Amino acid sequence: MSTPDDPIGFGESDIAHGETLLEVDGLTKHFASDSGLLAGINLETDRFPPVSFGVDQVEAVDDVTFEIKKGETLGLVGESGCGKSTLGRTILRLLDPTDGTISFKGDDLADLSGEELRQKRSEIQMIFQDPQSSLDPRMKVGQIIEEPMGAHDMFDDEGREARAKELLEKVGLDPRHYNRHPHAFSGGQRQRINLARALSVDPDFVVCDEPVSALDVSIQAQVMNTMEELQEEFGLTYLFIAHDLSVIRHISDRVAVMYLGHIVELAEKEELFENPQHPYTNALLESIPVPDPRQSGVRGVLEGEVPSPQNPPSGCRFRTRCPRLIAPDEYEIGEEEWSHTRAFMRAVKRRTFEPMSAAEIRQEFFDGELPRGGAGEIIGEAIELIATDREGGTRDPDSDDDDVEENWEEATDLLLGRFAEQSICARERPAYDLESEHGSGTHFAACHLHR
Amino acid sequence: MSSEPLLRVENLKTQFFTESGTVRAVDGISFEVNEGEIVGLVGESGAGKSVASMSLMRLVEEPGEIVGGEVTYKGETIFGLEEGPDGELRERDDMLSESEMRERIRGREIAVIFQDPMESLNPVFTVGGQLREFIEINRDLPKDEAKVEAVRMLREVGIPDPEDRYEEYPHQFSGGMRQRVLIAMALACEPNLIIADEPTTALDVTVEGQILDLVDDLQDRYDTSFIWVTHDMGVVAEICDRVNVMYLGEIVEQAPVDELFYETKHPYTDALLDSMPRPDRTVDELDPIEGVMPEAISPPSGCRFHPRCPDAREVCTRVHPDTLEVDRADGHPHRAACVKHDVFDVGYDESAPLEAGDEAETDVGGAATDPEEDPETPVEEEQASTDGGERPEGSRSSSDHRSDVGEASEASRKPENEPGGGESRQ
Repeated sequence: MSTPDDPIGFGESDIAHGETLLEVDGLTKHFASDSGLLAGINLETDRFPPVSFGVDQVEAVDDVTFEIKKGETLGLVGESGCGKSTLGRTILRLLDPTDGTISFKGDDLADLSGEELRQKRSEIQMIFQDPQSSLDPRMKVGQIIEEPMGAHDMFDDEGREARAKELLEKVGLDPRHYNRHPHAFSGGQRQRINLARALSVDPDFVVCDEPVSALDVSIQAQVMNTMEELQEEFGLTYLFIAHDLSVIRHISDRVAVMYLGHIVELAEKEELFENPQHPYTNALLESIPVPDPRQSGVRGVLEGEVPSPQNPPSGCRFRTRCPRLIAPDEYEIGEEEWSHTRAFMRAVKRRTFEPMSAAEIRQEFFDGELPRGGAGEIIGEAIELIATDREGGTRDPDSDDDDVEENWEEATDLLLGRFAEQSICARERPAYDLESEHGSGTHFAACHLHR
Repeated sequence: MSSEPLLRVENLKTQFFTESGTVRAVDGISFEVNEGEIVGLVGESGAGKSVASMSLMRLVEEPGEIVGGEVTYKGETIFGLEEGPDGELRERDDMLSESEMRERIRGREIAVIFQDPMESLNPVFTVGGQLREFIEINRDLPKDEAKVEAVRMLREVGIPDPEDRYEEYPHQFSGGMRQRVLIAMALACEPNLIIADEPTTALDVTVEGQILDLVDDLQDRYDTSFIWVTHDMGVVAEICDRVNVMYLGEIVEQAPVDELFYETKHPYTDALLDSMPRPDRTVDELDPIEGVMPEAISPPSGCRFHPRCPDAREVCTRVHPDTLEVDRADGHPHRAACVKHDVFDVGYDESAPLEAGDEAETDVGGAATDPEEDPETPVEEEQASTDGGERPEGSRSSSDHRSDVGEASEASRKPENEPGGGESRQ
């Protein structure tokens, strides 16, 4: 085992190519939003009792389930703050999961601890985003690459050195750079050193957290090509985390889209990009600027911002921004009327328009005509609350600001409570398996449009 | 569009005088911005895009200095040199003074939006307060009117509930919202030109989409011209009218956006487009540009792109191409700095294609001082290691280019055997 002549992929793998290597089931990671001595003590003077206990939880990753097959690349894409890095770290047990299982080659990583877990880490490795800070500036490249082998008692000194040099070559660096310090390398080269370090213990599974996002396009392509070659040579399995859909599309076999701690869609690459079934995926795909001036067409720009994971929306977490929020069943309301209502509801909630008279509001949002039936009545009530010419209220610009404030809040609560909260999107968490149009795999979409 | 462009930049040169030598960050670029136009300035990091855009505002800091060229804005000279009586260069009399720049040009006529919205806003003052102050000073409005105007601008750029948000601090805003505040600030004085330096790079795609739409919308309304500095070809395709592609301090191609993508005339632009993964289709094999961009401290001889260029021939190592007009489209010139085009007439067709071996020879001399120059050649690799491998500047990026692992390593073991062979594409 200690001779440098050993082939680089020396560990015998008991899992065949294409079989499930990693299975994540119901994985959940919550953080306490506060820490310290007085964390958990909340003071609210307008309530009795004024002191309450309990730490708010940030639901960074919530009930995530997927599997990865040996030899494949699963792309994990989402916007910043959606929990993709937390998910990657939790799988590696760099963070302790709150709930759920992570079964890797039959062992539940979530259950392991101490020495057992440490041993297991030789099979799972990670590459970080920032090539600047993920390498110790005081260590030489050789030491950096040999460190994990030392930690896992692999080879003797000479064997390690030989392997480090071999790896340097494999990742496209000169083995003679063995004695240099990281600062002498460019960003792309540092990411290659990271690769070599991760591969030194011959892992089966590598979590790559935005490995190319800090690099220039041309360097990005070089590093990605190297990663693909290494994957082929050593039968590696990647979980590739990135925010850049073009990168994901290039490197992944299957793609999972994350939004606010949930996986909203998971399908084979072609299927996901050509036949997206979740409105969020759709919006994401439409927002990317395409490098083709003849294609710049419609962009389905999403309204609003990602809500706080501290108090995420019920049901489908995307519903507060979803352009296709489903109308509550109890109102008989047409497609167009519902889209007006939806727009009005959000405008009131976000206060995107200046106060105006009731007639003006009706004109602006409903083309002058409110929906009929119960829905119309509620909208009328809400308009009444915020209109500048509301009855009974002698509202001139000098009137009490608090009053106005309260009325807006009341209108918001009324609209949200009677429409948004009644929608199936708010009441049930969606999860549907669909038929794929491209390829043969399953297509998971968390959207009630598919009920 | 009037015949006289809003902004004309001619042969602008900005250099940084550092201990290790003069860095020619911007080396003779010329371009124009017409009214109501979005002009792109594209390139990889280190190409000199940001320095170029800051030079336009005369905001280059020590040890940097604008050493040549002319910048004319609406007929006024922002920067210009003339030869003095002793033959030395001095600033022209009609050049705007520093206080004129500050009081009339910056902010009022030309505004800037920076990449990092957190660093551009002061964390200890409220967002509204900063915006109000800016309007107060630049538009001479009394405080209360400036506040009304500030709230109006915040609403204009799509910040919900602007009265409340006015009182909040920058850290309470998300990245996209902060960038909106900066756009509001830039627009507040209704400038004619806005320089946007990678304004969407730090943002998520959906937010980026929102900002791009906002800019489109505002540009329609205010008819503002933009210089859009970016590295993202997607953004360029989306919003730019005309594009300048920069490589190592020079503009290598200049064309209307459609021509740039469909009638590409410079190998660098071509390579850049080829190396990009696409969101709209699956690309099986990426074609990366070989090597890394050399440092501007001592650029390669001849065409600066030749060490990485797939079309390079012997003549490219000798002749430095100017950016000449090679085509015309919609009344705009399509310029490219590549001698393979007929207008150059320097014998490109007869010149021998550059073998990797030749390349190594031509560069041996320069290698000791500047191994960056041609990182592909193992000759330098050799030198790098005989140096003890601790060369401070030199060997930094010596082999980042290796896309082809197997062969490349083969080549570096036996440098005498067609050293560059391993690097070429498959």
